[in-house]
Amino acid sequence: MDKNKTYYLSRYARNGMVLVCCFVLFLGLTSKSQDSSLTVISNPKGAPANLRMAELKSILLGEKQRWNDGTKVVIAMVKSTTPLGEVISKRIYAMSGDGVRGFWARVSFAGKYDPPNVFNNTSELENFVAQNPGAIAILDKPSGNNDVKVVLIDGKKAF
Amino acid sequence: MPSNQKLLRSLAIVIAMFCACPKLFSQNTIIQNTHIRGFIDALASYQNGKASFGFGEQDLFITSELHDRISFLGETVFKYTPGTPTDFSVSVERVVIKYNYYGNHNLLIGKHHTPINYWNDTYHHGRVFFPTIERPLLFAANFIPLHTTGMSAQGQNLGKLRFGYDLMVGNGLGSAEVADNDSYKSITAAVHIKPVENLRLGVSYYNDVISKDAHVHDKHIGWKVNQQLFTGSVAYFGNKFELLTEGTLALNKTDTTGSQTSTAYYLYGGYKITEKWVPYFRFDNLHYGNGEVFYTKDNTTSFLVGLRYNINYLAVVKLEYQHTNTQLNGDFDKVTFQFAVGF
Repeated sequence: MDKNKTYYLSRYARNGMVLVCCFVLFLGLTSKSQDSSLTVISNPKGAPANLRMAELKSILLGEKQRWNDGTKVVIAMVKSTTPLGEVISKRIYAMSGDGVRGFWARVSFAGKYDPPNVFNNTSELENFVAQNPGAIAILDKPSGNNDVKVVLIDGKKAF
Repeated sequence: MPSNQKLLRSLAIVIAMFCACPKLFSQNTIIQNTHIRGFIDALASYQNGKASFGFGEQDLFITSELHDRISFLGETVFKYTPGTPTDFSVSVERVVIKYNYYGNHNLLIGKHHTPINYWNDTYHHGRVFFPTIERPLLFAANFIPLHTTGMSAQGQNLGKLRFGYDLMVGNGLGSAEVADNDSYKSITAAVHIKPVENLRLGVSYYNDVISKDAHVHDKHIGWKVNQQLFTGSVAYFGNKFELLTEGTLALNKTDTTGSQTSTAYYLYGGYKITEKWVPYFRFDNLHYGNGEVFYTKDNTTSFLVGLRYNINYLAVVKLEYQHTNTQLNGDFDKVTFQFAVGF
């Protein structure tokens, strides 16, 4: 009996350890997605090589209609329901994903700004930016597409 | 002969403008990005011992980018209109073609929401984005011209103060949607700044001459009225607090009554307990000059308290209690529940 008891206890302990490890790993992964670094990409035509963070936020709030070279500012975003979209919503807009969708619905239907182009995933987003002059977007990991350029934010590639 | 010269000169200008158009637009790619949305709200209310159910305007909204400098916005409302064969009517609320000619500067033509104050410039007919169930009372009292058909120049987010302007010339009150009823034009000049995040301060001036015998909001105007409106707005929608207050001073001048001064203002405040729950209040006041003949003279004070629950950005429920005191109908209380959606 004692032997069996010890066996079951050690088995529970082992399973418990595995669960705890999984939970810790999960928490680690979750916090990593919240803290993950972001990179701004743009079409070679339009956006400058450097932007200040305040300028980037203003642009992504739709407050700038044209780049200095006259090209129309075209905002591209991944869906704010995606993990990356949630991170961008919090870090750039200081809103939840739902808040960002509400913001764009309010301003675009008031006729103030054109709504952003929204994509399901980053590869679609990157292709759109590559093909549309003036386009700008935020990614977590650029794929190295030669048709887009990385815009430095406050002098850094990632922030 | 001089009239022939004038005609030739006008013709030359028109031809030159026509020839310039392809040059203006040829450098840009044509992209079409069209969004169609609808808004509606359902209501339940209790007033004078009677409960009622109903629904508001069904708002059909279209925005479209037609070109990298040209965009279109259309807003059409289907609404209950007693006396019509089906008890419903279709109303074109906005048709705006926007041309972005430089930076954040645009030219707009069509039927606009007159950019006279923050509410009229920001919210459309869909109730889902309204902070309260209905508009402030100065809208229902036709204190300000809600729509103007005409042309405007608009600038947004200019400089560090994020300065904005709207200069509009329109047909003015009493006009049909397709033509002016007289030779007078309405003028709207509005400026605002956004000195800090979420805060917008604005002022505007509106001037129009309403001809004798014009019909304005189903009312016959028996005098020629020179109208001037001065409006001020403070809007703050922050992460916790919401504040919106606007006031308009109206000077309506006729040959018989002279200049009459009327005022209308409201104050809205809200507090976000969470992103979803927002209790709020609004105070409205309408006060008319003793000799006022342009407006329906009905001095009114109203106070409401409410609770808003944002299910998500396209579904909002609100519950409100409103007490109103009017010069013509006395006191009344109303409790209203609204479910507003966008689709």
